[in-house]
Amino acid sequence: MTAPEALSDAERLLYGQLADVLIPEAEGMPSATRAQVHTRWVDDALRARPDLLAGLRQSLGLASGHPAEEAVELINRDHSTVFDALGTVTAGAYFLNPEVKQLIGYPGQLPQPVVDDVESYLDLLGNVVERGPIYREAPGAAAASPRP
Amino acid sequence: MTDLPFKRSAPEVADVLVIGAGASGSVAVKELAENGFSVVCLEQGDWTPPSTFVGDKPEWELQRQKTWHPNPNVRSGPSDYPVDTSDSDVNPLMYSAVGGSTILYAAHWCRFAPSDFRVRSLDGVADDWPFDYAELQPYYERMDRAVGTSGLGDDPAYPPGAGFPLPPLPIGKFGRKAAEGMDKLGWHWWPGPNSIASRTHGDRSPCVRYGACLTGCPQGAKASTDLTHWPQALAAGAVLVTGARVKEITVDAKGLATGAVYVDRTGVERHQKAGVVILAANGVGTARLLQLSRSQAHPDGLANSSGLVGKRLMMHPYGAVVGTYEDDLESWIGPSGQAIQSMQFYETDESRGFVRGAKWNVMPTGGPLGMRAGYGGRPVKESWGANFHRNVKANMGRSFEWGIIAEDLPDEANRVVLDPTLTDSDGIAAPKIVYKSSENTSKLIDFHIARAVEAHEAAGAVSTSITRLMRDCGWHLLGTARMGDDAATSVVDQWGRAHDVPNLYVIDGSIFVTSSGVNPTATIMALALRCVEHLIAERRNQAVAG
Repeated sequence: MTAPEALSDAERLLYGQLADVLIPEAEGMPSATRAQVHTRWVDDALRARPDLLAGLRQSLGLASGHPAEEAVELINRDHSTVFDALGTVTAGAYFLNPEVKQLIGYPGQLPQPVVDDVESYLDLLGNVVERGPIYREAPGAAAASPRP
Repeated sequence: MTDLPFKRSAPEVADVLVIGAGASGSVAVKELAENGFSVVCLEQGDWTPPSTFVGDKPEWELQRQKTWHPNPNVRSGPSDYPVDTSDSDVNPLMYSAVGGSTILYAAHWCRFAPSDFRVRSLDGVADDWPFDYAELQPYYERMDRAVGTSGLGDDPAYPPGAGFPLPPLPIGKFGRKAAEGMDKLGWHWWPGPNSIASRTHGDRSPCVRYGACLTGCPQGAKASTDLTHWPQALAAGAVLVTGARVKEITVDAKGLATGAVYVDRTGVERHQKAGVVILAANGVGTARLLQLSRSQAHPDGLANSSGLVGKRLMMHPYGAVVGTYEDDLESWIGPSGQAIQSMQFYETDESRGFVRGAKWNVMPTGGPLGMRAGYGGRPVKESWGANFHRNVKANMGRSFEWGIIAEDLPDEANRVVLDPTLTDSDGIAAPKIVYKSSENTSKLIDFHIARAVEAHEAAGAVSTSITRLMRDCGWHLLGTARMGDDAATSVVDQWGRAHDVPNLYVIDGSIFVTSSGVNPTATIMALALRCVEHLIAERRNQAVAG
């Protein structure tokens, strides 16, 4: 993965304000900034998706001088592509945090052995078999295609 | 990864030139090389060994939306060509690599039903295939063994036949939940057949359930043809040229194909000569190449005296109903892959107001970021803020999808043409897709969506979410060089040989007469095997350029 151009401290500060509008502390979950989205995980997210950096920077430019909540509403309403980049990088960075994953019960895509669970559904499958074939018989000979 | 240690120089004149190293091209190259032909394959992409995939890494969900996205216009990789989709309801999906789109496919390994070969005879629409299910069945069974298909035999939706070489993959908690709903309704369901190894199969490792099949299998358990066919093909002496973007099939004064012009990675234009040329570049790429090969002798493109090259494009419109449940169903666990499938509404029932049908499949829903992919364009408070957390907690691991693969009927208005302005990075005209869903398809999707909602409700879903037509669903690129016995109504014969050019073959999904309502890769590869074995058997009678 290509390392992205680092965000400045001022950019991180502003980004954190926008990120907390999108992902506030609620429902027992930490806010974006408490989950270190703006200081740590955004860097990993941008390493994976350097194409999102331009949209993120555009969102910061559009937000400059506006209260964060108002800025997020404005970007969503008038700049959908920029908002998509802001939303994807923020949610993507948030879910990279292992503590967040643990809180939502998602361990990530982990390897685990294939188990044979056929026995667990044979009772249900028996009902399908009992109903018999459902495919339609088809004639062996083909009909000619209509001429143009 | 390089082509070494099998790197060889291409002969000046190959017995056979194959264009495209994907599902069908891989089959052809392997069979031809093992039968003593000198074979050169031109592939615009490169190798993608399992170590390059990200399904086992934390950034998987971020990268799947760009680097490993199946839409070449989103991915914009160096091997991709752009596709103009401004006049299409559906985006075509594909991947350019050794293995082609099997690198990213979901590995649902389904056969056509017998009725799929007799659509005109049975339903009075479209056309019949030149052969029937019984003719293709042995090729299906051989291909099952070649790729290592996992499944459970005796599905009453199909005629009797050989069982699968590997036992079925687990259906998991969400597959069981879906099956319970189908059982309550008395509807058909069956453990999904997948070309994913449930046990060690040859050199392939067994699945470890990453659930990341659609972005390439890090385990090498999924049957992509770079793993199932290319090692044997190269060992048998085939020559593979990667990074080779073909721009024209060349013909001589007698109208026989002489090879192809391609642009290599350094931008140099080269000509590979061959006695026979086989096109295996998918339903968009093949039609594009035939149209790019127009000349004074072939002003409408090569092999196009019927006027059907590029026409009758079918892409399988895909609808989906996601159900959310109270129970934790661990629905991020793979494979992905299909847990179970249903053919309950596959066959025509005219009382429904449309003909033909669709296969349904249950798939896992992945991680938390992918679940949010459809949230764009909604009010901030609906998708973000406290609702962000509520939505994640309600859905994460507790939802799964019933997907619906709708059969679309051939329509000459749905087509691939050359774009007048858009080009790829080598300046070659890009394809443009013109594609609209028919009224029959609309009725079919509405009916199936309603039934899939009922299936979720019977299984105990607390809510359902409908995607009537997924725009990024054009995995199955079919029909643009259809086969048939009559040169006036088809492009190639039943063996894939062009009616107009006797040493030019098409063996990919382009030659499908109708689309069926199932995933087509098993049929593409079985059909390719049938075509190439006929070519081998008839080698002494094969016309070649002098």
